[in-house]
Amino acid sequence: MEGFLELAPATALLPLISFIVILAFGRQLPMQGAIPGVVATFISLVLSVVVFIVVGQGYTYNEDIYTWVAGDEVIELSFGILIDPLSSLMLVIVALIAFLVHLFSVGYMNLDEGHAERGGLPRYYASLGLFTFSMLAFVLANNLLMAFIFFELVGLCSYLLIGFWFTDKAPPSAAKKAFLVTRFGDYFFLIGTVAVLATFGTAAFAGSDSFPVIAQDIIAGDISETAIETFGFEASTWFTIVGLLILGGVVGKSAQFPLHTWLPDAMEGPTPVSALIHAATMVAAGVYLVARMFGFYAISPTALAIIAFVGAFTALFAATMGVVKDDIKQVLAYSTISQYGYIMLGLGVGGFVAGTFHLMNHAFFKALLFLGAGSVIVMTHHQQDMWKLGGLKDRAPITYWTFLAGALALAGIIPFSGFWSKDEILYDALAVGLETPILLVAYAMALLAVFFTGFYTFRMVMLTFHGEPRSEYAESPDPVGWQIQLPLVVLGVLAVVAGFVNMVPVEKLTGLEIAYLYQWLDQAWLEQPIPETAAGTYSALVAQELPSADPNVLLPALIALALALGGALLAYRLYSDPEPQRHVDELGSVGHVVEHNYYQDEFQVWLAQGVTARVARVADIFDQGVIDGLVNASSSISLFSSEHLKRIQTGVVTNYATLLLIGFLLILLGFGIYGGWF
Amino acid sequence: MTGIPIEYYVLLSAGVFCIGLFGILTRENALMFLMSVELMLNAANINLVAFALLHGTLTGQVFALFVMALAAAEVAIGIGIILVLNRNFGSVNVTDAATMRW
Repeated sequence: MEGFLELAPATALLPLISFIVILAFGRQLPMQGAIPGVVATFISLVLSVVVFIVVGQGYTYNEDIYTWVAGDEVIELSFGILIDPLSSLMLVIVALIAFLVHLFSVGYMNLDEGHAERGGLPRYYASLGLFTFSMLAFVLANNLLMAFIFFELVGLCSYLLIGFWFTDKAPPSAAKKAFLVTRFGDYFFLIGTVAVLATFGTAAFAGSDSFPVIAQDIIAGDISETAIETFGFEASTWFTIVGLLILGGVVGKSAQFPLHTWLPDAMEGPTPVSALIHAATMVAAGVYLVARMFGFYAISPTALAIIAFVGAFTALFAATMGVVKDDIKQVLAYSTISQYGYIMLGLGVGGFVAGTFHLMNHAFFKALLFLGAGSVIVMTHHQQDMWKLGGLKDRAPITYWTFLAGALALAGIIPFSGFWSKDEILYDALAVGLETPILLVAYAMALLAVFFTGFYTFRMVMLTFHGEPRSEYAESPDPVGWQIQLPLVVLGVLAVVAGFVNMVPVEKLTGLEIAYLYQWLDQAWLEQPIPETAAGTYSALVAQELPSADPNVLLPALIALALALGGALLAYRLYSDPEPQRHVDELGSVGHVVEHNYYQDEFQVWLAQGVTARVARVADIFDQGVIDGLVNASSSISLFSSEHLKRIQTGVVTNYATLLLIGFLLILLGFGIYGGWF
Repeated sequence: MTGIPIEYYVLLSAGVFCIGLFGILTRENALMFLMSVELMLNAANINLVAFALLHGTLTGQVFALFVMALAAAEVAIGIGIILVLNRNFGSVNVTDAATMRW
């Protein structure tokens, strides 16, 4: 059984092969290259399930496969595979979503006339394959540098896909924005990676000589601080700095405040791509990285608190913006930002399992919601404005019911999946907050965001599916094929049941051992555990820095549920008319500010044009005047002298002979005088 | 070594060398250049042979043979260059061929 784990790289390589095949022969292939993509991701899915099962049998895998920098006295750099419960779980999630998105794309891109006639489908499927490959390889990475490489590749693929319809005006600019904003964060990640290599001499995630373990030993005092290079800082301070540098990449990729602005614009890409970006790849990569190296963050309470606050603030901030959007995909975009805020909050308060749990549930229900939105878009001839939709409930029942399941999960209504994971995050935040009161602020922000989440989710559902159709296309939607319906149904089922794998409140109330995800991540049952990546190790580490209380489980859950239901009911009351009214204007100037996304984009443009450009101009003057001035001045001396000295090059042989002779005589004279001949 | 003392050889050699040098410094005809160079080489040969005689070894004479072979090769190439010079500039005046300087 164990040998199957060596197949794991194949899960990542198959989409790469499909990328190459489609790139080379896409135009000649039937369905414009859809078939290799669907087949490759399907086999990837099967293989990843096999890997998952083998891990379930108790095996793990952590090996370097290829060392590309080796030698004495140098830091070894290598590609390797780490398969533990976390990565095997993520592998299945990514492969599943990628497969369903590929399948959905057949319906969305090939079979929809409007999309198909715009062409470029081989490019689409090739990018999709490369995207899947990058993410799977990122998930399997066993060291930080390899993770960084594939992190960047994920960013590149998102650029290619967001700007897929590059002849329009908006998509290329959205793609550039996504690339630049995430690159800005990745810049810090790169510095952090170099810092990790310089400090520890290794970037391995797991193993007895991996950097989180070394860092833990130093904090615990088992290894002296002098064993590593901390660049003059205290070890704990330096670890916090390095952790925050790497967090820069996470904030960019996972669209956390203040680098979230690229994500709503990224809606310009095809909708299946949005599903992939938001659920399984790209955005998930950021928080997955935090989970992957959680052993490193767990020893730094400052870094954890910053993660928690960034997450909680983003959750609330994005949720308020989602409330006023008119475009169905925009609402979903802000909900993604908000939900990843929750995951960050969960990880930041030490809830490794809670964060991973929500990451999984969110992958399912957000992919579902995006694919549902895609289904609506195909049906209604590319109508995304919710005010032009409505009444699709009876006209498209499968889309409606699955979308509703996703919406209930997103809003966190019991017993749908989102409730269980969000509740666990909030519970962990409360438990830590009771001991460290400042974190209660983060808890309060997250709790408030629950209300907004319920509101905007059901505002979206009501406007899109209920009431009367508000356009001719919504009146008579086109039917959609099984390629669209099958992914919706699969994800719809998962959105309902995925939460049952980790019902912590029920476990605490009844005493049944049903927190399966916790057991899965805790590795206690493994034959070959990797203890340094086990959930139990993490919680023990966090507990040393951030103690947590043990509040009642029922009350916080009921509060969160009540808030979510309150938001949902308010949306229902406001928008249940057959002809719903806009209520944004009633918010007055507040609504105006929120509608403009708190002027975040304007602020960033001002930052670029008003501040950075001016600083750059001053720097340019300094560069041109002083730096280049010095260089030019020194070079002008040699220019001037050579201009005159070149005159002796007459081109006449006789002159050269004369000069040679004179030179010879002078040397002779010199030797004569100093040699004492005279 | 009988008869003629070494100073005479050296003086002869220096004289021939200076004639060659004078030719190079004053003439503009490339053929005259070539001849002047031959004179200078042969001045060196006289020196070599004379000192070989003085020391009673063969080394200098062998060297002189080498120099002659070199001179022959030099003339072969030199004549070729002069021919090309004549073809391109219509003369064998060395001051005309000054087009490849700055």
